[in-house]
Amino acid sequence: MIQIKSFAYEPGEHESEKASNSYLMSLIAVMVGLPLPIINLIATFIFYLGNRKGTYFVRWHCTQALLSQFSLLFINSFGFWWTVSIFFTEEQISNRYIAYMLAVILFNLTELIATIYTAIQTRKGKHIEWWLYADITSLLCKP
Amino acid sequence: MPKIVLKILILVVLFLGTWFVLEQVNWMKIFKVKKLTDETEQKLGQLFLKIFTERETMIVDKSVISVVNDIQQKICTANNINSSDIIVHVVEKNEVNAFAIPGGHIIVYSGLLKEAKNASAFSGVLAHEMAHQELNHVMKKLVKEVGLSVLLSLATGSGGSELATQVAQILSSSAFDRKLEKEADMKAVQYLEKAKINAADLADFLYGVAEKESEITAYLIWASTHPDSKQRAQYILDKIKTSSIQYRSPVTEERWKSLQSSLED
Repeated sequence: MIQIKSFAYEPGEHESEKASNSYLMSLIAVMVGLPLPIINLIATFIFYLGNRKGTYFVRWHCTQALLSQFSLLFINSFGFWWTVSIFFTEEQISNRYIAYMLAVILFNLTELIATIYTAIQTRKGKHIEWWLYADITSLLCKP
Repeated sequence: MPKIVLKILILVVLFLGTWFVLEQVNWMKIFKVKKLTDETEQKLGQLFLKIFTERETMIVDKSVISVVNDIQQKICTANNINSSDIIVHVVEKNEVNAFAIPGGHIIVYSGLLKEAKNASAFSGVLAHEMAHQELNHVMKKLVKEVGLSVLLSLATGSGGSELATQVAQILSSSAFDRKLEKEADMKAVQYLEKAKINAADLADFLYGVAEKESEITAYLIWASTHPDSKQRAQYILDKIKTSSIQYRSPVTEERWKSLQSSLED
């Protein structure tokens, strides 16, 4: 799922720090934005905008961090509105709802661990590619 | 590009598969959701009952209560409903009203008992309220009207007495939506049929209510959430028209008359 690969060039100390920060940004946003999933995406998107003219290594990792938020945005938003409907409409807690929320927690946890690992490795200047997201990132992000 | 699409599909299937597998576990039992919701409902029931008993006079006359309880028992036995799950309280008030509150409590105003022509008509109203309880309409209505967060704060005692009174007011004075009312009517007819009580008397009672409705209400009825009483009476009659059951009164006419005269005194 996550692989250390060689990048097109050896990134400098400053680049590694910025690239690592893009993952940290999504981590902080996860903590702040748990009740409102869209916040994670907005925070990562703002960081992406600020660095879209950065070096290739920084741009690449900002893009991967941003894309990784998308799939979570869909499942978290659905879970969020389902929960809201339980609190404010006649919708009731069901086995299906609990199973969905547990699946959401499982996927968020996996993403969280992957993000922490990637932030640490990227800070060391290592190039981490995520399954699926790296492919899309490489399509969008050119040297 | 096809590789990316395939990976996206795999991710979607992986999530849906995880959800499906997790759904096979009975989380409701593990997290004791039913027990918790039942406890909340009981606490709310006690809270609202306290409000009604403090504000109104409860009738404790045995000649009234025993008839009401016998009718309730008859419907419960015929329909395999645990009779201790339903508690009927009679309040001294001239309004023609009956309503269900959480925790299996049903409040019946003495005005309704006086207005009902016979025991079968009252049984119909009681069966309708019992259906609201059995179909969990009461909690559904409350969650829809005031929200789960308010109900939880009331159940934990942090909601304040003013708020509790307002919610109690909603229970006593507003109807369920059209769909839930019809569902309760149909379930009530089913209960009555099994108890060999004639649902036509409920229909007659509803026709009587319809005749007493003011003209203004009649004009507003289309916008109301409560189904038109005449319309309700009609679909109840339609449902039992092919029935071949030999109906019996749930209590003797003398007992019913005695109940009504006790209330008049």
